[in-house]
Amino acid sequence: MRRTVVVLAGLALLAAGCGKSGHESGGKVVVAVDIPVTGSPYIAQTIRQGLELATSGINSGGGLIVGDRSYQLDVKVYDNHLSARRAVADTRSALDADAVAIVTDGTGADATWQIAGKENVPVGIVYDGASGLVDPQSRPNVFRIAPTNHGMAFRYAEYLIPKKLKIGLLHDDSAYGQEGSADIEKAFSENPESVATRLTLPAGSSDLSAQILRARRSGATALLVWGQPPTIAAVLTAARSLGWQVPVYAPPTGADPYIRQRLADHPDWVDGLTFAGSRLTAEVGTGPFLSFQSQYESTYGADKVGVKTSDGKAVVQPPEFAMYSYDFAHVLVAALTRAGSLDSKRVLAALNQVTTQGANGDERGFNEHNHEGVVDDDVYFARFHDMTYAPVKDDPLSSTLPSIPQTR
Amino acid sequence: MSPRASVLIAFAALALALPAAAASERRQQVVLPGPVPYPTPVPPLVGKTALPQLYIAPGLHIGSNQRVNVGVGPAGRPDRIRVRQRLLIRGKGDYQLAISGPIDDVSAAPGTQSSPGLRSDQLLWAGFSPGRKVLAADAFLRVRDAAPYLPLRLHIERDGDRAVLAVANATVVPQQVYTGKVQLPELARLLDETRRASLGGVRLKGTFANFIGEVRTLKQPVRIAAPLRVQGELTLPGQAPVSFDRTLGDGHPLSFQVEARGQGVPKVHLQARPEPVVRELRPPGASTWAAALSRSPQPVEKVVHRLMTTRLQIVRADQFQSFLADPDADGRARSVYEYETVAVKPHREAAASEPQDDSGSDALLVALAVIGSVVVAGGGLVAWAHS
Repeated sequence: MRRTVVVLAGLALLAAGCGKSGHESGGKVVVAVDIPVTGSPYIAQTIRQGLELATSGINSGGGLIVGDRSYQLDVKVYDNHLSARRAVADTRSALDADAVAIVTDGTGADATWQIAGKENVPVGIVYDGASGLVDPQSRPNVFRIAPTNHGMAFRYAEYLIPKKLKIGLLHDDSAYGQEGSADIEKAFSENPESVATRLTLPAGSSDLSAQILRARRSGATALLVWGQPPTIAAVLTAARSLGWQVPVYAPPTGADPYIRQRLADHPDWVDGLTFAGSRLTAEVGTGPFLSFQSQYESTYGADKVGVKTSDGKAVVQPPEFAMYSYDFAHVLVAALTRAGSLDSKRVLAALNQVTTQGANGDERGFNEHNHEGVVDDDVYFARFHDMTYAPVKDDPLSSTLPSIPQTR
Repeated sequence: MSPRASVLIAFAALALALPAAAASERRQQVVLPGPVPYPTPVPPLVGKTALPQLYIAPGLHIGSNQRVNVGVGPAGRPDRIRVRQRLLIRGKGDYQLAISGPIDDVSAAPGTQSSPGLRSDQLLWAGFSPGRKVLAADAFLRVRDAAPYLPLRLHIERDGDRAVLAVANATVVPQQVYTGKVQLPELARLLDETRRASLGGVRLKGTFANFIGEVRTLKQPVRIAAPLRVQGELTLPGQAPVSFDRTLGDGHPLSFQVEARGQGVPKVHLQARPEPVVRELRPPGASTWAAALSRSPQPVEKVVHRLMTTRLQIVRADQFQSFLADPDADGRARSVYEYETVAVKPHREAAASEPQDDSGSDALLVALAVIGSVVVAGGGLVAWAHS
């Protein structure tokens, strides 16, 4: 037993030595995260936890190595309340705190990128897919790891048009809904015969019966709803209450736990809801994502949706958006290491030149012409059944993807 | 002698060292040229940065078609080079590609189903092929780094009312060629196989010949060139264009001149493409080498020389089918080189002629590439020989 203890102690010392790698400590490097803690708590929490999971892993592995120094990453959280004005103030605070990068859900990014850009500080968007937010030419400091509205809209056109459906294009009047609608319009512009009607829905309204009835009368045989989770829940409620079993398609908000919580009394109303998202697994298989998920759940616990399957199992939400902030942290660290300096200009340039392996096994990185870390081809479609979802089988990419376990 | 040729010869010499010492009538299998290594490390072009990890899903096949547009100045010197590369992916699965080269910029080309990415000296593609996918991009190259590897040299000269265009095949490379005794029927079979591959436009398959007794290296290296078909015209203002259509190589001269008479600035527009070896593989008086050599046998050394040199020409031609790399080494690659007179931008011309500080790093890169290819090629040959 004593010999075992000595061996273990020796191994521990060896491991500690490897971890420190002999670099002089440079102190802390701040990574700011500006998220809607009080506006959209689920999204905020999952983004923060993904980022913290990455930085704590890097810190415990010897820290961030820049040149001959090693730094500890320090995540500083700001709450933007889903308000652009608040996001501007947060950005200023983050810059005052010498943040090397600002990770955000995207709230206020149209205003904050310039403030950060003056100091060459990168802004990493990990939720909002709106077109125009990212442009390597005019916004060289803005990067994104999240599926884009543009990519999802075109993938939807590619997926739905061959089905010969008459689609009702619905969007709510939130900024998210309006931005998505613009991309959907573009994607379907060359196939007007596929569109039965276009409707704008009031965001936050729980009764959309009138609008859904109108859509039904237009001859729509499918609804593509670009809106916040409450809008999608309201559309499902209205359609199913009318006895209309129309297939409903949605952006990534369709997977938000809110919808299932809201419709927990009518799980069959959720059945068939299809949403677009970025695939959770790469061609290498489920291994990398499941490993990430396991690491995430052992640190923070599973993100419980708050509903159960028909056989009584608790449903959990795979940490998709946590994956994006986690990946952004790793790409940032790769850029800092490549830059060999904390000089923001050099870090910004290095962000265009590095690739890392993402949590799902896909390569993540940016380049001089593209600051999108999720390519359009990675957009897949998943359909709900019994409160959990699985990739659809009638789309070439989606059909290659395995399901991720969602019950505990 | 080129480094790759040295490798080939060194390997052959190594393989033959023991039998040669005995100078016996012992049979030895000697690897013939093709499909690789190429006689020089470039093309395909290489950039100055290390490529990221690439991924091509099993079952994906990628073909490459390239149109290399070379804008030339009034004297025929390259002033700008743009490559339009069209990759056709067949099969379902992921791809993550990076194509190296002296690349200044890239843009999407017509017909592409995805957008190209750019990093220092890299053209990037990433995505998913649902069964068939077209990736097309224009890559704008640094002339100073890419021009030395173009397959043609042009020179335009004015002499009174004469404008003379000189076109030369620039793919010529000295190669060591070995010779010895091989049975004529075997040589005939190998020549027929080589001819079929050449005419079919497919890559040579790796193969060997059974040499009997000593295998020697010719004292003088042989000049090997990719056969090029050159078609185009030289035009002077107000005059009818002077057209030309020549093959440079494959037994034809490696250069030619075209003359036009008149005033004004001469303009050239031509296309060049690597061609199969046809003339030098044509069996005399028969439809196959088997028939030709059985009907009228030729000296063995002459036939061995023909086999070696034609295969080397085919390899050289295949090399110029990929000015930019095809990410799928087994994919079908085709390149067309288009030269056209353009208005020269003075600052670019000056920049091209200025000595550059980093030429040393180029030389180092080439040296490293050569060493790498030596190791890979040598290893491959040894592995093949032991398989």
